[in-house]
Amino acid sequence: MTQTLLTPASAAHTRAAGAGGRPRPFTAATRRNQARLGILLAAPLVVVMAVFFFFPLLNAVYYVFVDFRGVNANPPFVGLRNFTELAMDPNVWAAFSHNLVWIAIGTVAPLTLGLLLAVLVWSSGKWTGFYRVAFFIPYLLPHVVIGVVWAWIYDPSSGWFNELLKMVGLESLTTGWLGDPNTALLAVLGTAIWATTGFVFMILLAALQNVDIELVDASRIDGAGAAARLFYVILPQIMPVFLMVTTLTLVGGFSVFDIVFIMTGGGPDGASEVLGTYAYSRAFQLNRISYGTTLALTITAISVPIALFVNRLQGKLSNQNGSV
Amino acid sequence: MATTIDKVPLTPRKAIVLTGKHAVLIAASLIALFPLLLIVSTALKTSDDVMLNPFGLFSSFSMENLETAWNVGGFSNYVVNSLLLAVPSTLLVVVLSTTAGYAFARLPFPGRKIVFNLVVLGLLVPFFTYMIPLYFQMRGMGLLNSLVGVNLVLTSTGLAFGTFFMKAFFSDLPGELEEAARIDGASEWQIFARVMLPLVGSSMGALAVFTFLQNWNNFLVPLLYIPNGSFRPLTTGLYLFLGGRSVDIGPLAAGALITIVPVMVLFIALQRQVMQGFLSGAVKG
Repeated sequence: MTQTLLTPASAAHTRAAGAGGRPRPFTAATRRNQARLGILLAAPLVVVMAVFFFFPLLNAVYYVFVDFRGVNANPPFVGLRNFTELAMDPNVWAAFSHNLVWIAIGTVAPLTLGLLLAVLVWSSGKWTGFYRVAFFIPYLLPHVVIGVVWAWIYDPSSGWFNELLKMVGLESLTTGWLGDPNTALLAVLGTAIWATTGFVFMILLAALQNVDIELVDASRIDGAGAAARLFYVILPQIMPVFLMVTTLTLVGGFSVFDIVFIMTGGGPDGASEVLGTYAYSRAFQLNRISYGTTLALTITAISVPIALFVNRLQGKLSNQNGSV
Repeated sequence: MATTIDKVPLTPRKAIVLTGKHAVLIAASLIALFPLLLIVSTALKTSDDVMLNPFGLFSSFSMENLETAWNVGGFSNYVVNSLLLAVPSTLLVVVLSTTAGYAFARLPFPGRKIVFNLVVLGLLVPFFTYMIPLYFQMRGMGLLNSLVGVNLVLTSTGLAFGTFFMKAFFSDLPGELEEAARIDGASEWQIFARVMLPLVGSSMGALAVFTFLQNWNNFLVPLLYIPNGSFRPLTTGLYLFLGGRSVDIGPLAAGALITIVPVMVLFIALQRQVMQGFLSGAVKG
C-alpha cells in the first residue's frame, strides 16, 4: 500500500499550521454580505434537518406523554403512564440486562483485541497495509450481509463453528448457536465483536503513530517488560483516543439494533432481546407507538450523558497531553 | 507511514518474537477475512456442491447462483434501487454539508452558534430515537415508499457528521487567502466558490465515499420507510430473501456478494478516503 493515511495527529498539525492568521476586522458592508451569504448557504441544511430530524425528535417527546396507537388522530394524554409501565415491564428489564451484557463484553472485547492487534502491527512494522485492510473489511460490510454469513457459520449442522469445535475435540459444546436460548445473545455479540474490532484497531493504530518511540525504547533499556511498556508507557500516551473509542462502543451498546434484529429478531423467546428490538416490536408489531417511542427516548436519555461525560474526560486528558 | 522498527540486525530472540507477532496477526486476519471467503466461495459453487459439501471452500465453480440471484431473486432490480437511494442522497449530503460547513466556519451570521450546536446534536442522538415518529410523519406527508422521501431521510442522517467534517476543513484554511481575495474585489460568493471550495476538494471526496458506503449499507431506513418494497435496495432485499420459507444458500450467498462488491471495490480503490472518513468521524465525533 502506497497511500499514507491522514492520521488525526497530522490533521491536527496541518490545522494548527493553517489556522494562523485571524481575519482582520471587517467593514460593516463585508460583515453584512457575509451574514447574508452565510444564511443562504446554511438554509438548505437547516430546512432538511428541521423536517427530518428536529420535527420527529420533538414529536417523539410528544408521543411519550400520550397514548398513540398509529390510528387515533387525537391520542389521549396519559402523563407519565408510559414511563411507569416501562418501569414495571419485566421484558424491559430483561432486555436491559442483555444491553448491560452487550455493553460490558461488547466494549471490553473489541478494545482489548483492537489494542492488542494495533500494538502488534505497530511494533512489527511490516505488512501494515495488508493487516489494515484485512481487519477493517468486517467493519465495512453491511449488517445484513454480516448477519447472513454468520448465520451459516453458526448453523447447527452445516456451520463452520460447530465443525471447528468438533475438530478440536469440543464436540460437547456444539449447539445451534442462534436457536439456543442459552447462547443466542452471546453468539450475536460474538459477531458484533468480530465486526467492530477492526474499527477499534484502525483508530488505535492511527493514535499509536504519535507515540513517542524514544520513551518506549528508554523504558525497554530500563528493563520494562512488554506488559509494563504497554500499560505504563504506550497506553497513557493514547489514552484520549482510547477513551473516545470506549465512548463509541458504550453508546453503541445501548442503541444496538440492526445486528440483533437481523440475526435473531430478539429470539428465541426473548433470549437475545435488547431494548432496541423490544422498542421496535412494541411500536411496529403491536402498534404501541407511544410505548416504543418512550423506550427509545429513554435509551437515548441514558446514553447521551454517558457519552458527554467520557467525552469531557477525553477533552481534559488531551489538553494535558497537548497532543491528539 | 511511520515505521517503528530500528534498523539493528535482528538477534535470534528478536526474530522469534517477530515471527510470533506475525503468526498471531495472520491468524487474526484469517478470522477477519474468513466470512468474506465463505461468501465468495459459496456464491461461486454449484448448487449441488453447496448442499452436499458445505465445508468445501472453492470446491467447484459455477455462475448459476449469481444468475439465479440476478434474474430470479430480483437482485438486478435491487442494485438499481440501491443506486437510486445511495447516489442522490450522497450528493445532497456532500453539497449541503459543504455549503453549511463553510457558513459555520467562515461566515458569521446571527444565531450561527446555536444553529451549529443543534446540528451537532444530530451526532449524539441515534436515528433509532426518532425513527418511529418519523414513520408517521412520512406517512402524513405521503413520502412513504417514495424515492424522494427515503433519499431525504438518508440525507438527513448524514448531514450532522458531514457538516461537522466540512466545517473542520474550512476552519483550517488560512484567513489571509480570504483577505487577499477580498482586497482584490472578490464577492463573498466568489471567495467561497473560486478560492475556498477548490481547496477542500479532497475532503469532499472523502465525505462522498464515506457517505455513499453508509447509505449503500443502510438497512433500517429502507426497511421502515419503503414498507411496500417498491424501491427495495440490496440490504432489505437480502433480508427478505433470508426470511423466505426455504432458504436457498447458494443464491443468498450470491446476493450477499452482489451487495458487497461495490463496497469492496470502493474500499480497495479509495482506501485513503474511506479510512479518513471513518477515522475523522470517530475522532471528531
